[in-house]
This record gives sequence, C-alpha cells and structure tokens, in this order.
Amino acid sequence: MKKKFNLFHPQYAARSWFVLFNTIFFILLMAVMIIPIYKIFCDSMVNQTVYGLNLLPRGLDPETNEIAWFNVIAYKRIITDPALYHPFWVSVYTTLLTTFLGLLISTLGAYVLIQRDMPGVKLFGYLLLFTMIFNGGLIPTFLVMKRVGLLDSIWAVIVPTSMNVYNLVLMRSFFEGIPASLFEAAEIDGCTPMGIFIKIVLPLSKAALASIGLFFAVAAWSEYFHYVIYIKSSDKYNFQYKLRDLFQDKQDASEGTKINVNTLKSAAVIVSVVPFMFIYPFCQKYFMTGVTMGAVKE
Amino acid sequence: MKKNVLKRVSALGLSMVMVAGLAGCNGSGDSAEIDLEYGDPDDKPDEISMMVDTTITEENGLQAVCDEYEKQTGIKLTFEKPDHAKYYEKVTLSFASEEPADIIEMGSTYYPELANSGALWDMTEAWEKSKEQAAQGAQGVNCVNIIDEDYIDALRINGELYGFPMAAGNGTITYVRQDWLDAAGLQAPKNYDEFINMLRAFKSRGGGAIPITAAGLLNTETPYDIYLREFYQDAVPDIYKDKTTGKYVDGFGEPACLVCNYLGIDAYQEGLIDAEIVTNKTSTCRDKLGSGLVGAFNYWAGMWSLKLQRSMNEGQLVAIPPIEEANGYTERVPTALAMSVYAPKKAAIFKYFLLYSHDGGEGQMLFTHGVKDIHYKYNPDGSCEALPYIVDPDNKVEKSMFAPELTITEWNDPIPLDPMVKESLEIYRQHRTFATVPVVNDTISQNLADLNVVRNVVVANAVTGKQTVDEAMQYYEEKGGYYANAILDDLNSEANLAAEAEAEAKAKSSSSEDTADDAAGAADEAE
Amino acid sequence: MANNNDNFDHVIVNKPSIGQRMFKYRWFYLMFLPVAVVLLIFFYWPMLGVRYAWSTYKLKQITLRLGPDYSTGWGNFQRLFTSDPFHSAFRNTIVLSFFNLVFATVLTVVIALLINEIGNAWGKKIVQTVLYLPHFLSWVVAASIFMLILSAGTDATGADTSNMGFVNAIVAKIYNLFHNDPYVPIDFLTEGKWWRVVWYIMNRWKETGWGTIIYLAALSSISPDLYEAAEIDGANRFKQTWYITVPSLMDTILVVFILNLAKIMNIFESVFVLYNSLVYDVSDVIQTYVYRVGIVGNDYGYSTAIGLFKSVVSLVLVSASDVISKKVRGYGIV
Repeated sequence: MKKKFNLFHPQYAARSWFVLFNTIFFILLMAVMIIPIYKIFCDSMVNQTVYGLNLLPRGLDPETNEIAWFNVIAYKRIITDPALYHPFWVSVYTTLLTTFLGLLISTLGAYVLIQRDMPGVKLFGYLLLFTMIFNGGLIPTFLVMKRVGLLDSIWAVIVPTSMNVYNLVLMRSFFEGIPASLFEAAEIDGCTPMGIFIKIVLPLSKAALASIGLFFAVAAWSEYFHYVIYIKSSDKYNFQYKLRDLFQDKQDASEGTKINVNTLKSAAVIVSVVPFMFIYPFCQKYFMTGVTMGAVKE
Repeated sequence: MKKNVLKRVSALGLSMVMVAGLAGCNGSGDSAEIDLEYGDPDDKPDEISMMVDTTITEENGLQAVCDEYEKQTGIKLTFEKPDHAKYYEKVTLSFASEEPADIIEMGSTYYPELANSGALWDMTEAWEKSKEQAAQGAQGVNCVNIIDEDYIDALRINGELYGFPMAAGNGTITYVRQDWLDAAGLQAPKNYDEFINMLRAFKSRGGGAIPITAAGLLNTETPYDIYLREFYQDAVPDIYKDKTTGKYVDGFGEPACLVCNYLGIDAYQEGLIDAEIVTNKTSTCRDKLGSGLVGAFNYWAGMWSLKLQRSMNEGQLVAIPPIEEANGYTERVPTALAMSVYAPKKAAIFKYFLLYSHDGGEGQMLFTHGVKDIHYKYNPDGSCEALPYIVDPDNKVEKSMFAPELTITEWNDPIPLDPMVKESLEIYRQHRTFATVPVVNDTISQNLADLNVVRNVVVANAVTGKQTVDEAMQYYEEKGGYYANAILDDLNSEANLAAEAEAEAKAKSSSSEDTADDAAGAADEAE
Repeated sequence: MANNNDNFDHVIVNKPSIGQRMFKYRWFYLMFLPVAVVLLIFFYWPMLGVRYAWSTYKLKQITLRLGPDYSTGWGNFQRLFTSDPFHSAFRNTIVLSFFNLVFATVLTVVIALLINEIGNAWGKKIVQTVLYLPHFLSWVVAASIFMLILSAGTDATGADTSNMGFVNAIVAKIYNLFHNDPYVPIDFLTEGKWWRVVWYIMNRWKETGWGTIIYLAALSSISPDLYEAAEIDGANRFKQTWYITVPSLMDTILVVFILNLAKIMNIFESVFVLYNSLVYDVSDVIQTYVYRVGIVGNDYGYSTAIGLFKSVVSLVLVSASDVISKKVRGYGIV
C-alpha cells in the first residue's frame, strides 16, 4: 500500500487530499459527539444564570463576584441532599442485581437450549422466541404485576429487565462454540450437568459473560419507564427517574437555595453519566464482542 | 427438513396462551370487600396513610409532622409524596393497583374524574352527621362550628361531597404599580375603558414598559380564564351550558367563537399586554417586575402580593378590585383531601383526620404550621414565628400542609399574616365568585386534554397575530373539531340532558334551599 | 438463528424412549425452571390480558369491583379506527421510524466506510471510542442534554444571548452578523416544525456510531485479495470502494434494514422523554398514545386494544421481513 502523504505529488495527491479531508471530517464529527456532553460538564461547574457560548468550566460566582474555576456547589448539593443521592444508590444496587440475575437466567437458559437431545428443548426455544415478536402490552402487564403483588417493588423493574431473550440467544450461540468433546469428557469423568455448567461452561465463557453482563448493566442503569409505571414510593426511584423529575418539575428544584437550577440539572446529567464513562474505555472490546456475536448470528 | 419456523413459533406461542387461558385465572375478585358503611366515628384506626403533593417536603420534616400527629391522636400517620410532575399518574395508578392511600390530596381536574369512577368515598353523610353531633355539643367536631361552609359546597358534585377542602382554592387578582398610577394622575380603574386608559398611560412611559403581564393566557386547568379576566368579560374559554337553549356550547367554536370576542387580541396588538405573554412563566414575570418594567400583573392573591412586592427594588404594588365588566375574580375549586373507597373505618378517619386538621386548635396548628421547635417557635414575649426550613435556612417555613392565609376556618392563628397579604385577600374575597367542580364523564376525560392543547395554540396564535381570527378559527375546526364535537355530542345527547335535569331536581329537593341556591348561583357565575 | 433451530432436528438412530431421555435430562429441567417461571409469569400471563381489548375496562370497573365488561365487543376497535388522535399517532409512528431508518442506514454506512479508510490504528481507535460513547447514555440523559443545549432561555428582552442554550446562542451570533434587529430564540422542542428535526438528530447522535460496528465487522471480513486484484487492474481507491466494498456490504445493509423494519412500531422511550403536549400532532406515537390513554386516562380496555393493534401490525411486519429475508439470503430472521 502506498502511504506517502503529499498533497501535490501527482501520484499521491488524490489519496492525500482524501486523507486530509477524512481527518478533518472525523475531528469535526468527534467534536459534534463530544461538545454536547462537554458543554453540560462546563455548565455544571458554573453557578450563574448566564451560559451562552461559554465553553470553559468557569464563571462568575454571584456569591463572591469573582471568576471561579470548577465551582462544584451543585455536586455538593447532590451528595448531601438525600433526595438526590439516595436515587443514585438505588441505581447502583438495581444495576448490580439486574446484571447478576440477568446473567443467571441467560446462562441457565442458554445451557439448557444447547442440549439437543433433550425432550421439549425445541418447545422451550420457541416459547422464548415468541416473546420477542408478541407481548401482552402495557396494561395487561401492569395488571399481572398487580396480581403477583410486585407493584411498588423494585423486583417489578429488575425481573423483566433480567429476562432478555436477545441476550439469552446470544449466550446460546456462544455456548454452541464450546467443543462438544469437552462436555463428553466431563460426562465420562462423572460430572453432573450442574458440575459441567460451573466447571466447564462458565469458565470458558468469560468474554461472553463480560459482554452480556455489560449489556444488562447498561440497560439496568438506563431504566426509566418501568419506574414510571410500577414504582410509587419516592425512596425507590432510581437516578434516571430523579433526573427526569428535575427537568419536568414545574416547581423550581433549586428555589430558595443558592444554586442555579440549570447548574443543578447539568450536574445531575454528569453524575448519571460518570460511572459508565469510567468503565467504558476499559470494556469497549467486550461491548463489541457482544455486537459482532449477534451480527454473525444474524 | 425445511420448516416455517415463524409459523411454528407463533402456533406454539398462541397455543400456550390458550392453555394458560383455560387453566387460567378468570375471577377478578380475590380482594377484600369494600366497606362503604358510615361506621362508628369513634372507632379509631391504628394507622392512616396519606398521599400528598403540595405539602412541606420530606427533607424539611414531613415525617416530624406525622410523628407529632401520632403523639396527639395516638394514630400512626404515614405519607407518600410522589414527584410533582407525575403526581396524578401515581394517584390513578395507586387506585388501579387497589392500594391507594386512605387520604389523597386532589386538585380540581382529577377530583371529579376519580369521584366519577367510584374511587372516592361519598362523605356527605359523615359531614351531615358531624353537624348534628356538633349541635349536640360533641367533642372533636369543632371544625363544623368554625368552617366556612362555602368551601364545602364548592366541592359538591350533584350535591354529593367526595372530598374535604384543604384550603381555599384562591384565584388571581390584578396588582398595579401605585407609583405609576400616581405619576399618570389616575385612580384604580373601575371599568374597561378606564382599564385600557391606564394601560395606555403605562405604555406611554416608554423605556420598554410592559403595561400588563400574566403567567400565561389560558390557565392549564379549570377555570381556564383565571388569568386576565378583564379581557374575557362574557366570553368563556370552555364548554358551557347555554341558558337560553339549554344545550352545551363550545366557547371556542361556532357560534360562541372565543377569539372573535376576546379583547386581549386588540390589546396585545396595541402593545398593551406583555409581548411574551404566551411563553411567560411565573419566574419570568417576576424578573420583569423586579427590573421595574411592569405596570400591572395579574397573579394569585394572598402570599404572592408579598413575594411580588419583595422582588421589586422600587415602587409599590397594590391589589385592585375587578373592573365592572370582568364579572368578578374567580375562585378555584379548593384542593380536596379525598378518602379512598378502600379506606377502613372511614367515619373515624373523617373525624380524626379531616375534622381534626381543621379544628382551630392543636390539630390545625400542626397541619398549618408544622411542629413546634422544628417549624415554628414561641418567643419569650409570647409571640409566635415560623422557623427557617431545615434544608433551606434562608427561607422561613410557609406551611406544613395547609397555607395559613388560605385557611377555611375562623381560628386564632398565633402567627399573624402580613398586612399586605391580608389586604390583597380581603379585596379579592369581596369580589370573588366560586367556580364549580367541572363536569366530567368518559367522553370528556378522553378528549379534553387533547382539546386543551389545541385551544392553547389557537389563543396564542390569534393573540400574537400569527394567525388572523378567521385562520385561527379554521385551525381550531381542523385540529380541535374532532375532540370538541365528541364532547358536545355526548353532553347534548338527550340521555345526558335528561339525566342532568333529573340530578338537578334531586339536588334541589334533597339539600337545604340555602345550598341549592348557592350552588346554582355559583354555576351561573362559572358559565 | 434458523440454522440452529434446524439443528435440533438431528435424527438419532436407536433413540432411547422419551421417558428415558427425560430422566437423563432431569437436572436440565430443574435448571430451566427459573427461566420458565419468569417467562410464564412476566411474558405469557400478560398475553391473556389482550382479552381486555374487547371490554370496557376503566377505573370504575376496578374500584367498584365490576371486572372488565365484555358487552362492548369490537367497540374499542371501532373507536380506534375513527379516532383522530389514533390516526395521528399511527402516522407519526410510521413517519418518524421510517425517516429515522433511512437516515440511519445512509449515515451509518457512509461513516463506517470512512472509518475503514482511517490508516492510523490509534486514530481509528480514538474515533471509534468517541463515536460509540453516546450509545451508553440513556434516553433520559440524551433528552436532558438536548433540552439544555437547545433551551430558548427565558430572558425578558430577547436580545440578550447570554441566557439562551448553546445552540440558540450560536445562531444568535451568526444572525447578529447580518441583521440589526434582535434575534428571537427558537424554542426547538415546542415548535412542531423543529421537534422532528431535533428527534432525528438526537437519534443519530446517540446511535450512528454504535451502528457502524456491525458494518466494520463486515468490512474486515472482505478478502484483501479482491482489493489487490483490483489494484493490479488499475482501479483507484474510489473505484475499489464502489465496486468491491459497497457490493460486499449490501447483504449486511439489507439484513440490518429488514431487522429494523420489523421494529418500526416499537419506538417509544426516545419520544416519551422528548415530547410535550405542544407538539403532540407531530410527535405522538402509538406507544406514547397507549401510555396516555392507559396510564394517564385509565381507559385500560381501549389502551389494550391500541396495544394489540400495534402488536398485530408488528407481527405482520416481522413476517414480511422474514419472507423478504428468505428471498434475499435464503433463511429467515426468526
């Protein structure tokens, strides 16, 4: 491959111009992707009513009348106000629970589905697939939740999120890649099905567990609508719900306090984004494993 | 072996549903029976739960109020306080889940709707019996002696009472800059000509002066015409019953045509109304008022007179009586404390919660100002004052649950009202008319919300000149006609008109003459 | 997936009896039990509830313990087909989904092709990391960010740009270069003509980068021999892209398009967090309408009927996609 970069050499010019424009294009595209988040980050550090074009995390502090860098007053409010930090903990533990339960259901289901000689396994597969194309709908599901007594319980949010047929099928396709000879050998050694599952299947599927586990974690962290319909008590709201509440409430959340309402909103957005911002660069390859795994299936 | 997988999946899925259906659970009634009986008012419940919206927040000590209530009455009080933006979703969902709180705070839009659904206990009998008991000198029903019964009647639906007023509904009043009036050599306007004259004088001050502003054109809930009543006069921005024909008419559509009669259009185009009236929020109006741009402001009476005055750096704001043509100021239907049909020992809850919280003594103090030494304190000199909020030390506690200035009982509030608040309320109350609980049926609840969206756009467009009156009417027919016709067809159906006539006759004969007159009077006003 | 399902059909010679096989797999049934319980309770039991679509079922039926009233028959469906708001919701669902799908396909493919042309491995990695990032934000967060940067501000005079959101402030700067009159900020989220634009942009901002993964995977599987051969024939890079890359991607493009076509009735949360009553006529989709009728309006029977209608249309779309898929690549999507 020719890799010389020269805008005016006749042999390389066309390619070089393309590389130049491609680079500029992606720099701009990255800016478009990042600026909205970056702007919110800056605004969360500026406790004043004017924002406009300011793209630095600093602003005039109305208290001291001085330019202040990294004014974290809104963050202080979030970590000291129980109405704001409690939902964060709800988010954390529902995410952990959903991820655990989701992986449990997906691996168990997938492990059973790869038993080709098992009577009824096809039925199980079809039963799972059918839920992907048809469901009872909002109200009937609500009424079932009511019947089983899960209304206003975080399990009403956790359990349906944990049962994700798409992830289960993904897991199955991963398990199918495990050589059958391993199962046979273990069986001859006298391993029980559960023993094979724990000693062979799970250790060989670490990448799939990480990848699908992250899918569950993202879904659980982002969960909002289930809280709207199933959760009534304010101590069970998660952070997404609280964030949305800040934006919708006609009463000014910051009225009376010294924090500008937009600063508070911006800080809340950043707080809800931060956990995944931290783990995302380290886990990117697992996310991509999951997607390409699905793509191959399709 | 090629098979149609999709077909098999669907067939299996559907057969599962069938099987489950056959084996299934069809019965709907495994829940406990509802007790609609009146019961013994002195058979105290162990616990009362309430769902509230506008009270003091949890962080500011709502739990302390509940604890204090338990100390006073021996009844445990628990609360649910969902987020404000989704309050009514949570209320109706709690009824759908058959686990609502015993006592539910309810604004005038949802109160009739839930009453209509049979979700609320009819407390008419409890109220009447309490009156009898009070007449016999019973204990614990002092509320009956001191309450202003107008507020009770304002919550009646066809004569039946499904909720107890929390505090007065209140309404808006027009505040005017006294110094601007003086500068123009004018008196407070008495009729529309003088009113317009005043606005013109304000405009001529120049410097971007805004003669009059308000936090919107149409209110988002009934009564829709609570803001700037001066410009509505006889036009009604809602569906109403035409007295001459006895049929329902849409105040927006033909032939009533709100936008044809709405005086705000001319005034706006003359520059007499705030250019941003459509998008105004309370905070925006306050900012403009604070920067000395506003001459007159139509906003809530009472506490706001003080807040508005405080947000001004200069000048003096006075509340004025309504102009002749405005048909008075409107008083909203009070916010109700309703009781769920599922609540146990209803008569006792009525007595120990609803009457107790308006008892003019210990109970009313708790539900108005909160807990001693947490929300208010007595000074050594015997005077009483509000303490700062727990999480917001810059401001003082205004109320625990019921706004003190909007009290519906005659009682000695140890924390005196500010004279400005008092004055604006006095002027307002001399000239107010009570709105009635809006008519609700299934068709209305299906269509009204969507219709109101269109109405807001129509008024906004006509007033700001985005559309001419004709264009606005055409737009209304196009976008809102479907909803309006659905509602009108239903209301004007013979069955409905007959049922209404019957209910009216019944209400007239059953209740005392006094109440019937009042209710009819109020109804006339609202229409 | 079809392949694998067909794999279940292995014929084993001298099969043990079904009872013996079931005994052999007894522990697996036990392992499937939790999955089956969740599946039956949370997915199949609600399906029984579709019968409410043929009933009058409102709050009254619950509070008065009447139970759903089935005397209405097809009444809910009649109401549905004559209802203005339903027509509007149906139209919006189709319009929003379809245009979003078209924009998604074009943008994702073009950007994937361009990413593929980045020579520097580090640069490629950084670009990918940044482009995938918004996918991990929830719809609530995405909508919150857009509300903040698109805010029209609430300033009294309008001429003051300091109080507007980021976008309005930029537009104001540009506007003031050419005009002398004050710039009136645009309220993007309450004006019908802007709302859809914002929604498309938000969707593309959040999902375009993520969507490229599948195409990049497909691109990496194109044999380098093809390019070498083309280069020997004297084809330049553009021609190589046009004659080799794009045709090899065609299959993936179609698959992704078909799969998404099957899902077009499902849009919900992205609208739910961004819309408001002032823009219902351009933004209200079936699922949000179901929510408003059912949860806000407490009309459970009618709401179920709308939901059922949606599910049936979805089912038809999935079947159609399945048929198309079979024609195009020989096996179905289910």
